[in-house]
Parts: sequence; C-alpha cells; structure tokens
Amino acid sequence: MPVGESLNTLSAGLILICSFAMVGTRQVQGVLRFFIVQSLLLAASSFLLGFDEHSIHLWALGIITIVAKVIVIPWILKRTLARELYVRREIEQTVNIPASLLLSLLLAVGAELLVGPLSSAMGNLVVQVNLPIGLACVLIGAYSLAARREAVPQLIGILAMENGAFLAGIAIAAELPLIAELAVAIDVVLIVVIVGLLTRDIKRTIGTTEAAGLSELKEEPESWR
Amino acid sequence: MTRTILYNLIQILFVLVFAPLYSGVLSRFKEIVQSKRGPSIFQPYRDLWKLFHKDEVISSETTWIFRITPYLVFITPIFVTVLIPVLTDYPLAFAFMGDMLAGGFFLGLGGFFAALAAVDTGNPYGPMGASRTRMVGFLAEPVFMIVFFTVSFVAQSTIPFIVQQKWIENAGAFFSPAHVLLLAAFLMLILAEGGRIPVDNPAGHFELAMIDESKGLEFSGRGAALMKWGGQMKFLVLACIFLNVLLAPWGLAQGLEIMQILSAVPLILIKILLFAILLVSIETSLAKLRLFRISEFLGAAFIISVTAMIVSIFVGS
Amino acid sequence: MALIAVVVTPLVAAFLCWLPPIRKIAWHVTVFLSCVEFALAVVVSAGVIARGSVIGVSGWFEADGLAALVILIVSFVCALAAVFSGGYMSQQKGHEDRLWWFYSMYNLLVFALVVVPALAEPNLVWVGVELVTLFSVLLVSYENTVGALEAAWKFSVLTIMGAPIALLGFLVLFWAYRTGVGHHPETWEALRASASSMSPALLKLSFLLVFVGFGAKTGFAPMHTWLPDAHSQAPTPICAVLSGVKTTVPLYVILRFLGILLGRPEVHIGGFMIVMGLISVGIAAFLLLQVRDYKRMFAYSTVEHMGIILTAAGLATRASDFGSVSQMLNHSITKSLCFYVAGAILMTLETREIKSIRGLLRISPFEGAALLFCSLAIAGAPPFPIFLSEFSILGSGVQAGHPVVVTILATLIVIAFVGLMMQVNRMVFGKPIGPPRRVEIPRTCRVAIVMAAIPVAVLGVYIPAPLYHLLNLAAQQLGGR
Repeated sequence: MPVGESLNTLSAGLILICSFAMVGTRQVQGVLRFFIVQSLLLAASSFLLGFDEHSIHLWALGIITIVAKVIVIPWILKRTLARELYVRREIEQTVNIPASLLLSLLLAVGAELLVGPLSSAMGNLVVQVNLPIGLACVLIGAYSLAARREAVPQLIGILAMENGAFLAGIAIAAELPLIAELAVAIDVVLIVVIVGLLTRDIKRTIGTTEAAGLSELKEEPESWR
Repeated sequence: MTRTILYNLIQILFVLVFAPLYSGVLSRFKEIVQSKRGPSIFQPYRDLWKLFHKDEVISSETTWIFRITPYLVFITPIFVTVLIPVLTDYPLAFAFMGDMLAGGFFLGLGGFFAALAAVDTGNPYGPMGASRTRMVGFLAEPVFMIVFFTVSFVAQSTIPFIVQQKWIENAGAFFSPAHVLLLAAFLMLILAEGGRIPVDNPAGHFELAMIDESKGLEFSGRGAALMKWGGQMKFLVLACIFLNVLLAPWGLAQGLEIMQILSAVPLILIKILLFAILLVSIETSLAKLRLFRISEFLGAAFIISVTAMIVSIFVGS
Repeated sequence: MALIAVVVTPLVAAFLCWLPPIRKIAWHVTVFLSCVEFALAVVVSAGVIARGSVIGVSGWFEADGLAALVILIVSFVCALAAVFSGGYMSQQKGHEDRLWWFYSMYNLLVFALVVVPALAEPNLVWVGVELVTLFSVLLVSYENTVGALEAAWKFSVLTIMGAPIALLGFLVLFWAYRTGVGHHPETWEALRASASSMSPALLKLSFLLVFVGFGAKTGFAPMHTWLPDAHSQAPTPICAVLSGVKTTVPLYVILRFLGILLGRPEVHIGGFMIVMGLISVGIAAFLLLQVRDYKRMFAYSTVEHMGIILTAAGLATRASDFGSVSQMLNHSITKSLCFYVAGAILMTLETREIKSIRGLLRISPFEGAALLFCSLAIAGAPPFPIFLSEFSILGSGVQAGHPVVVTILATLIVIAFVGLMMQVNRMVFGKPIGPPRRVEIPRTCRVAIVMAAIPVAVLGVYIPAPLYHLLNLAAQQLGGR
C-alpha cells in the first residue's frame, strides 16, 4: 500500500475512533475536544487526497473545514455557551457508556456490511476505506443524538455526522463544485449559530439544557400520565 | 542449530538480568519527574538479594498451590521469552513451538495460579485482589484476542518472528491504521496487565485499593523474591513484544555472529529506555481510575483494536 | 428572468423588513412582495406550460413542471400566510418590537422554500432544504415560551439530524454521475437523461440515504414526532407554511429521484415507498383518534397526507402520479386554510384543547362554519379537491393491480376521516361551555380565510385547463408508466 493511501486510511481510522470517543466521553468539553480533533483529521485527510490527486477542491475543502469547524464553531460555542461547556461537566445519557460503545461498534460493522460490497466493486482503495467509515460516523452520530439528552452534545453529534458525510465525500465526490462546498460550509456555521442561540434561549427560559427536562409535549391521554 | 539454542539462552539471560533493572529505572524516572530523588536503579536487585536470604514462612492453612505458584510465576515469562524476538531478527530454535497466542496462554497461566494462591491463603485482601485482577483480566482478554486476530489478518501469521517483519516492508505498512491502532491498543493492554497507572498503582501501599500487589502479600522469603522477579520479567517480556514484534524490529541482530547478538543488547536496552520514558510520561500525566472506570479504559482499548480490525478488513476486501 | 425574480423577491423583502426605517411597515412590505411573488410564480408556471421548462441561469436555476407546481404552491400559501399574520401577529402581546424580525425571518423562509424547486443543481438543493429547516426553527421558537422552545428543540434535532444523511446521499449521487457520465454539470435534467449509464446500486443507496434524511424533514413516521409539537407551538401563520409547504418541499426532492430512477427500471423502490407511506398514514390515522389539541390534530393530518402522496408515487403509474401531484397541491391549499381557521379559533377562545371547545357554531358562526368547511375538505369529503385526488389515487391503484394496497389505504383514510370529523363534530356543535366571549378576529384574518377557501371550493368541481396541464407536466417528472 502506498504511503499516501496508508496515511489516509490511518486518518480515517482515527476519525472513526474520535466518533467512538465522542460516544464514550462523559464531559461536554471532552466531546468538543474530540470533535475538534476529528475535524483536524478530516482536514488532514482532504489535504492528503488533494495532494495525491492534485485537486484544488480538496485543498479548499480542507481549509474550509479548519476554518469552520476548528476555529469558528468552537469559538461560537464558547461565546454563546461558555457556562454549558465549562461549568457543567457530566452528561446525562439514557444508555450507559460501555453499552453505547458496543452499539456503536455494531453500527460500524453494519455500515461496512451495507456499503462494503458496493465500494469494493466500484472504487479504489480510498473509497473502500472512506465510504464505510464515513457512513459509520454518520450512524454513530445519529445514535449519540438519540442517546445523549443534552443540547450541546447533541449539536456536536450533528456536526460529527457532517464530518462523516464529508469523509465519504472527499473520496467519492472530489470534484464537487466549489460553490457547493462553500454553501455547505456556510450552512454548517448557520446550524451552529441558530442552534446555539436556541440553546441559550432554552437555558434562559427553562434553566437546563437537559433535553430530558423537555417533556411537556406528548400525545397521551391524561389518565396515562 | 546449537547456535540458535545458545542465542535463545542468551535471550533468557537478558530477560533474567535486565528485568529488575528495568523496573528500577522506571521507578527512578518516575521519582525524578515528580521532583524526588528516588532509590537507586539497582534497588530491585538488592530487594531480590535480601528476599532470597530471608526465611520463608508458609501458612499451615495453605495447600500445594501456594507453594508452586512462585515457581510458575517465575518460569512462565521465561517460556515466553523463547517464543519472541528479544535480541534477534530471525527465528530461533524454539520459535515455531508456539505463536503469540501461546505466549498469551503462558502469561495467563502464571496469572491464574497467582490468583488461586491469593485465594488459597485465606487472607482477606488476597481474594479481593485476585477477583479484581480477574476482572481486569477478563476485560483485557478480548482485546488480546482481537489484537491477535488483526495481526493474523495483516501478517497472515501469528508467529512473532514473522509478524515483526511485516510492518517494515514499506512505509505504507508502517503507517497503516492496523499497525498504529494495534500499537495504541496494546500499549493500553500493557498498562492494564502490568498493573500500571491508570489501572493500578504499583507503588500504592493501601491494601483496599490494591489490585495486583495484594495477591503477593502472603509470600515471604524466596517465594516473594520469585513472585517479584517473575512480575518484573513479565513486564519486560510484554515490553519486548510491544517494541520488537508490534512496533518495529529495529536494533535487533541481523546476522548469526555472536558479536552481533551482543551488540544488539545495548541497542535493545536503549529502546526499552525510551519506552520507559514514554510509560513514565503516561503514568505521571494520568490519575488512577476508579475501579469501575477500568472497564471503560479497557473498553476503549477494545474499541481501538476492533477499529484496527475493521479498517484492515475494509482495506483487504 | 421571471424565475430569477421569483428567487430574488423574498430576499429583497427580507432586506427591506430589516432596514430600520421600514421596520414599522414590515407587514405591508411583506404582503405586497408576497403578492408580487405569487404573480411571478404564475408567470413562471405559464412559461412552463407554454415551453415545457423555464431557464433562469442555465445549469443553476431551471424549472420544469414539478418545480413550477411547487413554486406556485409555495408562493400562494406564503402570500396568504403573510396576509393572515398581519392580524394574528398584532394580537400577540409582548412581541411588538420584534415584529420586523419575524417578517424578516419569514421572508427568508419563503426564499429558502422557493429556491429549492428553482435550483437545478442537486447539491445546492441540499443547502436550500437546510436553510428551510433553519429558518423554520427560528420561527417556531419565536414566541420564546417553554413549549415553543421545546418544540423548536425537538424539531431542530430531528430534522437537522437528517441533513448529514441526505448530504451523504447527494454525494453518492454525484459519485454515480461522475463515474457513469463524466465531467458534465450535474443538474436534475442531466441526471434524468443519463440515468441509464449510472450504477443502479449507487442510485439505490443514494435514494435510500436521501429518503431517510429528508423523510425526517417531511415528517414520515416514525420520524414524525417533531411535527405535531412544532405545529402546536409555532405562531399560526408559520404553522400554515410549515404544514402546507415546508413538508412538501423535502418531499419534492424525494420525488425528484423517481424521475431519475425511471432510467433504471431494475431498481425497485415502489414497494418500499408504498410500505413507508402506508405506515405514515396508519400511524397518523390512529393518532387522530386520540388527539387532544386541534392544532396537533391538523398536524397529524399532515403526516397522513404525506403518507398518501408517497404511497401514490410508489404505485408508479401515470394516473397515480397525477393523483400524487394533485394531492400535493390540494393538501397544501387545504391545510393552510385549516391552520388559518385554527389560528382564528385560538385568537377567539385562547385554548388549544378540543375538550374545552363546544358549540363553536353558536359562539362564532363564521369560525364554526369555516372549521366545518375546512375539516370536511381536509378529511376528503366530496366535493372537495382532496376527495378527487384521493379517489383518483385509489382508482389508479386498482388499475395498477394493487388491490391490497388500495384496501389498506382506503381503510386508513376512512379511519382518519372518522377520527378527524369526530373531534371537529364535538367542537362545532353542541352547547357552548364557559363564559361567553366576543373577540372580533382581525379583518385581515377573515380575508385570508375567505381567499384560501376559494380555491378549496373551486378546485373540487373545476380544474382550470392551464392548471390541469401543469399538473400533467409535473406528473410526467415522477416517471410513472
């Protein structure tokens, strides 16, 4: 295996581990930290592939990723949600951590089963690695959204899913028009701004960001309550 | 043939001689990092010397298990030594008698008897330590297995002497995720198996918090010396597996000449020294985990090893 | 040119509402430009009817039959919602100084809703759908109450979660296009034309990912839970937009894939769509039986109708496709009417609970009659347009040889009908409870209700020839045979 592809595979593996780590971390700040590491790895992967394939798009994507996800998003989160990040430490969750990790593993294997045959029939080595791992990150992110009952980790979970999609994207859609990439980046920042503001409002009005505390709206006859 | 048997003996001698030194260096480094002076690096030799010259007291409540355990704990790392590359780059006489799995079984046998002996004494702390060691052990076992499976996927073999060549075929193989992730998982395993921070504190003197140490509380004299020496050898053997089999076979003797073997000794010692620095930096930057968080530590190791396996399957398919 | 104007007009409106000197008359600006928007949409539709497609910027902004239909629906519903919000929002106390903000966001939402069908480049369509979600999250939480924030939170988590999944789907689609066709600009039209040279497995994967991702935004069961929460808590004009068109727009993107898959007959997704559609209809139908809040009731009815549209599209015949797109149109206009009426009732009685409303016909004859009218229309009673389209869907199902599907669908529709009318019956007839109250609903709200009722009344008995033609063009895009 050539060094470039090998390094890309390594970075993909580490991205997957970051996804696991986000599921396995108890602290809000830890989750954010792993997310930053994951984004850096994603940028590294796209620089690597950009270097290998001489694609300016991938370089641009790497830079966008660093600017948006390593600099802007943590900055926004720290500005709007500093108390959430630093004061409260342990995250509530519905499934305990070892079980969550095992489920995430199953999801990763499931992702491989889903797209493995497809990618090995269709693509080169990079696709074979990035597509299943990207899908696995998307699925693990979705799971962590379901398991985590708090605003900030859920938000970061969404962004981690986005990372997974991009990991697959740099392998399969390297020549995506730049305008689409820019739009996507702006969109991601918008998500954070809006959801961050929303979280702050929730905090102000309700006093907690544990989504478990949000249970006013239900479809049950009163007798069931 | 006789020459390779001789080299095997040199390997055993190497492990026997340098195991106490290794643990002495480790503890000295740690003290220095923590701004203390610490004992001499030769202190473990003096401890062993002292223990060998003391009388052995064996409780009349114990059975033969208690009596043979020190010998088993002492002898099993030596068996493993003949299976792995400590000094040489090529297979020695007994290399094909067992693979990495067999090595794992040997080390596991010693641990098993140590646990039995701890229960055998009737000392309240012994069984507690034994049960905790078993807990760590049974959590570590799957990681060992996955590591071996992944190695066999990548190298098509589990014989340590063959595996070690696989990683340096080219730079791609060295940086392949299977390799890097395996290293990470195995390092975590070494920490757990060797009773190091963050799983266990080897320097702790508080019986209730002990995991590994409390099993040896009842041994005295020669028994205690053998247990201690065996433990040190086990740790050195694990380090050799990590450094020579899993990391890279750099510094090992290439040729059959006796001088090459002897010149490999300082190189390997330097390698182990660097590894000791790594270990010390890990140990001083982490705190000991609560007992019930150990499962998460090993869970992380498990996840990493499974990721290594999954990724190597992705690449292989 | 008209297509560009359609996209730009809401942006201009949003900007104007934001300008400090104009903030006071933000509503007037919004209403005026929404009407301009509707007129432009009619122009676009006329162009599509005449020439088959309208091109704004080639490769970026193009509209065919389906897109023109969605643009038409969006601009109609949004214009009336703008009219309605004049009276409704002025009644909301405590937010007077934020009204300009509301209208600015509202116009941005309209922009996002209209840009999705107008775009021809699929990857940008994804961005457009995301913008729709984001602006609607802000509008749902506008009132800043505990309930509104909870609803906005559930809404944003569930729907934004779909975004990366759909993004992966679009990337796979791009991949399939590049490996199959090569370096040509990717548009819906190009995808349709070259589907036969793309890998079927990739197309299927891409469809599945987009379906899951945008299905959450459309509100298919089991990802529908945000829908009733958001609809019960959002300001009523926003409910009309959310239910009427915000759900339709992601569905439009899903339906786009049908046209692409037409070139790949070996990829069978019809059965999958029918099953998913029937699940949505079924869950919604049974939830309608036990609902306690009339705004949630209409929300569940939205889930039901989305399921019906999906099922119809899954049947994949020419007739069922026609039923599907006309159901889309009919649902949007009828459901927005329902929410205007619900908003009026909320203004008068200040309760959302069904059980505390009795004898609405006596309290306020106008509202009682309107509620009866719109409920009959949305439940699918003859001679309303929804009855027509549902009937044609069922008929096409029988023709296509799916008697089991038709039976299940018909049964579920009847259950939903019974559930809905049971609740409405309780509210409209009987003796009023509680002290009598007289709150005049604002004139603009009445105007909006009457204007919205006109097409609902007319389309059931008479479909104008150009509209019929447009529906036919739209149905062609779904690729049924």
